[in-house]
Amino acid sequence: MILNKKYFFTCFSLICFYCSFSQIKEPVWTDSTRVENLDEVIVTATRTIRHLSSLPLPAQLISKKEMEHSNSLRLSDILNEQTGLITVPDFGGGEGIQLQGLDSQYTLILIDGVPLIGRSAGTLDISRLTVGNVQQIEIVKGASSSLYGSDALGGVINIITETPKIGMNTALNYRLGTFNTHDLNTSISYKKRKIGLSAFLNRLSSDGYQLNESNSSNTIEPYSNYTFNSKLTYAISKNTAFFISGRYYTQKQDYVASEDLKGESAIHEWNAHLKLSHSYTKKWSSYFEFYATRYKAEEFLNNLDDSRYSDSNYNHLLIRPELRASYHLNAKNTFIGGIGFNHETLERPDFIENPIFNSPYAYIQLDANPSDRLNIIVGGRFDSHNKYKSQWSPKAAIRYQFSDKLAIKTAVGYGYKAPDFRQLYFDFTNATVGYTVLGYNAVLTAISKLQEQGEIANLIVPISESESDLNSENSISINFGLDYKFSSTLTANLNIFRNNINDLIDTRVIANKTNGQNVFSYYNINKVYTEGLEFNTKWNPTKNLKITGGYQLLFAKDKDAKQAFKNGEVYARNSNNTSFQLQKDDYFGLYNRSRHMANLKLFYTLPNWKTDANIRTTYRSKYGLSDSNGNSYLDSYDSFVDGYVVIDFAINKSFNNNYKIGFGIDNLFDFTDTQNISNIPGRLLYGKLNIKL
Amino acid sequence: MKTIKTIQLAVITTLLLGLTACNNDDDDSNTLELESNTVTNLEATQSADYSTNPPSITGDYIKFSFVTGTTTTGNDWDIAFRGSTIIVNGGEATTEDQPERTGEVAAYITSGTLASVTEINTELLVSDSATDGLAIPTGSDNGWYNYNATTHVISPIAGKIIVVKTITGTYAKFEITSYYENGAPNEALSNSQFYSFNYVYQPNAGVTTF
Repeated sequence: MILNKKYFFTCFSLICFYCSFSQIKEPVWTDSTRVENLDEVIVTATRTIRHLSSLPLPAQLISKKEMEHSNSLRLSDILNEQTGLITVPDFGGGEGIQLQGLDSQYTLILIDGVPLIGRSAGTLDISRLTVGNVQQIEIVKGASSSLYGSDALGGVINIITETPKIGMNTALNYRLGTFNTHDLNTSISYKKRKIGLSAFLNRLSSDGYQLNESNSSNTIEPYSNYTFNSKLTYAISKNTAFFISGRYYTQKQDYVASEDLKGESAIHEWNAHLKLSHSYTKKWSSYFEFYATRYKAEEFLNNLDDSRYSDSNYNHLLIRPELRASYHLNAKNTFIGGIGFNHETLERPDFIENPIFNSPYAYIQLDANPSDRLNIIVGGRFDSHNKYKSQWSPKAAIRYQFSDKLAIKTAVGYGYKAPDFRQLYFDFTNATVGYTVLGYNAVLTAISKLQEQGEIANLIVPISESESDLNSENSISINFGLDYKFSSTLTANLNIFRNNINDLIDTRVIANKTNGQNVFSYYNINKVYTEGLEFNTKWNPTKNLKITGGYQLLFAKDKDAKQAFKNGEVYARNSNNTSFQLQKDDYFGLYNRSRHMANLKLFYTLPNWKTDANIRTTYRSKYGLSDSNGNSYLDSYDSFVDGYVVIDFAINKSFNNNYKIGFGIDNLFDFTDTQNISNIPGRLLYGKLNIKL
Repeated sequence: MKTIKTIQLAVITTLLLGLTACNNDDDDSNTLELESNTVTNLEATQSADYSTNPPSITGDYIKFSFVTGTTTTGNDWDIAFRGSTIIVNGGEATTEDQPERTGEVAAYITSGTLASVTEINTELLVSDSATDGLAIPTGSDNGWYNYNATTHVISPIAGKIIVVKTITGTYAKFEITSYYENGAPNEALSNSQFYSFNYVYQPNAGVTTF
């Protein structure tokens, strides 16, 4: 460090002094938070470049600037601070995103427009992703299967990574924080005329943490991971461009099952993405994209004498070629269309066979502006599948600009999530209890095998019910929104949403076993809905101050459960072990959903001091994690996890454009709930250094 | 006119009341009071050996009689517990190692509180069956309990009242309140297979109300 303590202290005092006077005297400024909002563009919503401000769909952008100011490390850090988004911890320590009240498995996560794989029981751990080389995060809410196919039921989150910029750029970022957490980013990029090259490396390691001292294993075990990403862009001619990107992620983490069983878990993931684009005429252009990705997870446990106790591995491959074309009929109407093919394989234990999924698909979309005030998007996609029911996913959206101040928008879409491999091919018998779980497509063979072995006492569900294809979980989502501009410095938008989800896949008993246990299999049963409203506002009271606030109201309920409460079929047990009947209003809804979530963020910039500071507050109201009074529903007599507030603070200062130091405290008031919330470890202090050359 | 009608009504009512009262008086000598009781920590342990195929489950079925209100080793049992399985002393065996069924005990599960189930619907009563399964089905959300696949805890579902026609033809109703010793699972879940339940026994033969 070139900087000495005394100098830093002087700077800091001056900042404080400056802050207290800035409201009186407006300084001359060059850099402002206001400029960044002018030309926000988004590609996820339509697969073409669109201005966020004119989009008929509910969407949100997170800029590089916001991530830098907030000193975010992982995708989970920054998404948790957005309205209506929350990460929910998984048992393996992963964090999945909840969007419009829908679980992680119903949100598609893309990186530069292509999907990430590697879900554990449906949850894609977004703490796997560094934001070190992320340019922008785009979030589109509402079912989007009309463009993206499976998993885009609740919405799509697209992580746009940085592409090489003109000249030679190198950067080094290092952050050191609580729990011996080291995060190191280095990047180098070069671009001259036709060619651009970049390489990025991130290393993150941490000692993990322990919230519950009585456990033999930590809440989060020590880990270290690396992300490599390199890119090549080449402008072959004025009309033809080539892009190739390779990404590799690897993580090692201690795996402790008990005091006697210890081992390690490892993840290896790679993505290869190639894109060739060509414009034939002003009207016609086409893109060829080839994407391949593999996700491998391995873990083992050893006994105390180092002999192997257990091994498991998971190996998922996705290959996708896609051809896309766009046609600008005229200045007001654009068609895009695409055809592609998904090839997926999975190897893992406890499967009846190693499945192969092949799924060709095609989609088309019209983006029309019949008048300056009116924008209409209509589209649809067909996914054909060899192992479950094929899907047709339409979507329509409309936006009308009433005046400079007010616009309304409505979007209706269909979304689906294909049955996952487990739901189709599982063939698992619990070694200690003795029950069996069978995937839907495994029932026929596995049951007859069990019958031959004399393990089936009687069948509850006739086998013939497994002969037709299992349906995808599907949803119809409706979003209705208002954009209102009070002034050039104050804007607000409101979105009312409803997701009607059908054919949710659950397990049921299909046969009794001779050992007194049961055989379970998957089937389409549950119907749930999530509905609510989301409100966001942005205010720049002065040139250097930006205040954003957001609120989401959410009701997420199972329709059958709601009916059961209405019919008076649900009882609860009090502390005296006496049952009593519950009323209609006693049904709270689905687990892990908070009725209220809110955030308030203040970003303050001091251009003269090249300093920015911010305070970010998030609130989540009470929610239930499990049934505590013996009726398997979440009702008002259950015990709930209390609502909470987390406040983060960060300050960053630049020196002569090349150096920047930062300091921050996440979770200022050291909030923890050791019993219920495993992904909030308490107060985190950190310091940060950025060098750009 | 109105007064006459009222007098008539009063006379008829008095007569009827008198008659019913007389009937009650006649029966009173034989009518037994309902018995309400709580059984706690009834141990019904099973163990499983998964080295064989199919796995062999062993352990004694713990037999219980509502008539005596105690466990029994004789043939006078009504229901018997082992692990999360409950069998009745009637119908057919569903596995080979079950105790011999000597009676015509039957049961069904209904929703309500122990107090609110006052009428027995005899049409719903079934015995164990080799083809249709047990009268008190096993399985999560299938019968009397719910199994949480995440925590592995077995919780009796509130408001599931099991109605039993006993070996003597009398009726009983019971609600299981816990599957763990002293009412709550320990961290290792090693105190499972201990039943606690509340029951009401109607000792009067043929009476289908409580």
